[in-house]
Amino acid sequence: MTSSDREDISGIEKMLRNLYTPLQSGVSEFRVNLGNFTTAFNNKKTLNDKIKTLEQENRRISLDNQILRENQAELKRLRDIVAFKEASLATYDLLPARVISRSPNNWYQTLVIDKGSNAGVKKGMTVITPKGLVGSVGSVGHNSAHINLITDREVAVGAILQENRDTSGIIEGRGDRTFLGMINVPYYSTVKKNNRVITSGLSLTFPKGIFIGTVSEITRERGGLLMSASVKPAVDFDKLEEVLIITDYHPVDDSEENMGE
Amino acid sequence: MRYFLLLILPVLAIFFQSTLFNSYSIKGTIPDIVLIFVVFYSLLNNSSKGAAYGFLCGLLEDLYMGRFIGINALSKALTAYAIGRLQGNVFKENILVGVIAVLMGTVINSLLLVGISLAVSDIYNIDAGLFISIFLQCVYNSIIAVPAYIWYYNSSHNGWLRNTGENLNESRQF
Repeated sequence: MTSSDREDISGIEKMLRNLYTPLQSGVSEFRVNLGNFTTAFNNKKTLNDKIKTLEQENRRISLDNQILRENQAELKRLRDIVAFKEASLATYDLLPARVISRSPNNWYQTLVIDKGSNAGVKKGMTVITPKGLVGSVGSVGHNSAHINLITDREVAVGAILQENRDTSGIIEGRGDRTFLGMINVPYYSTVKKNNRVITSGLSLTFPKGIFIGTVSEITRERGGLLMSASVKPAVDFDKLEEVLIITDYHPVDDSEENMGE
Repeated sequence: MRYFLLLILPVLAIFFQSTLFNSYSIKGTIPDIVLIFVVFYSLLNNSSKGAAYGFLCGLLEDLYMGRFIGINALSKALTAYAIGRLQGNVFKENILVGVIAVLMGTVINSLLLVGISLAVSDIYNIDAGLFISIFLQCVYNSIIAVPAYIWYYNSSHNGWLRNTGENLNESRQF
């Protein structure tokens, strides 16, 4: 057996993936086209209703956007004053990719995307959608890459609550696409239902501040020193069609440089 | 043709499991068609041949996944060996035998996979959801096993999967 943290996959595995990728791309393309085809037959009323709701949402979001822009400008001024520098989602390079297939068994929660080492994807890169965290790149082929989802049983993410930053915990996958477990929450923390959970940046794999999900249930562990919570992921993993890969986040390299100095 | 088909079946099974069956999952659980083929092969041949075939099919799946190489190979080989022990003691022309073999195979394979995963992984979370998923997979696999066994059994006696090397005396239809 091989170890889980080997650097790269072998030539045979890459060959096998090169064989599968075009087939899976074809199927995924076909399904998208089929979707477009059926939309054309949808009746006019549903489409009109949809446009109306989207317009309303658009208006609301533009308003939110204005407020946030103002806040961001203020934040930038204040940050300049205290000479505070922090990387955020706005500064990362994002590479879009299409999901072409999913895990062939129930043991792993993975996705296959249509970008690989030829497009500059590397192992360990963080994968997100505009809604929130998806997972990280597990292994890379020439034109495809396997992504380990955060719902996978072997993935853990350091997390904090966005509302009160002192509450920390570890998000772990339960093999279920609809909920995540949050463990090691200290008993004194004021975690409430519907609190927003974001990445803490402590696990070195994921950058700080990416939205993971909302707390749906809190339970006290036996012994009483720790609490655990159920978290509803922000991303709908069943309907994932496109993802974004953060290509320029290298926290480990940074710390190595610092150690060298 | 027999060997080509034996090779192409798991390849196609992985392809369909990763695309088509993900759209038709029961609560996120998909069937393990590779395992179904391995169980049938083992049931209709013998345990050592079955184990070898199970090992190769599992290895193919492992190479595709690119994580632990050997985890599926090991579990499928052992499952096939266990199912192969039934061979000679059961009436293979009965569909029910095929379905029960798949059901047993799914349970054995799942427990082996959990055991191996626990032994080799740093983090592996076990909860009720895991066992619900195993149960759902048993049901899903058993349903698929009905048409699959009818085809596989007939094919291995009168069709493409027929063993041309040795003469099989029995060539019964359902």
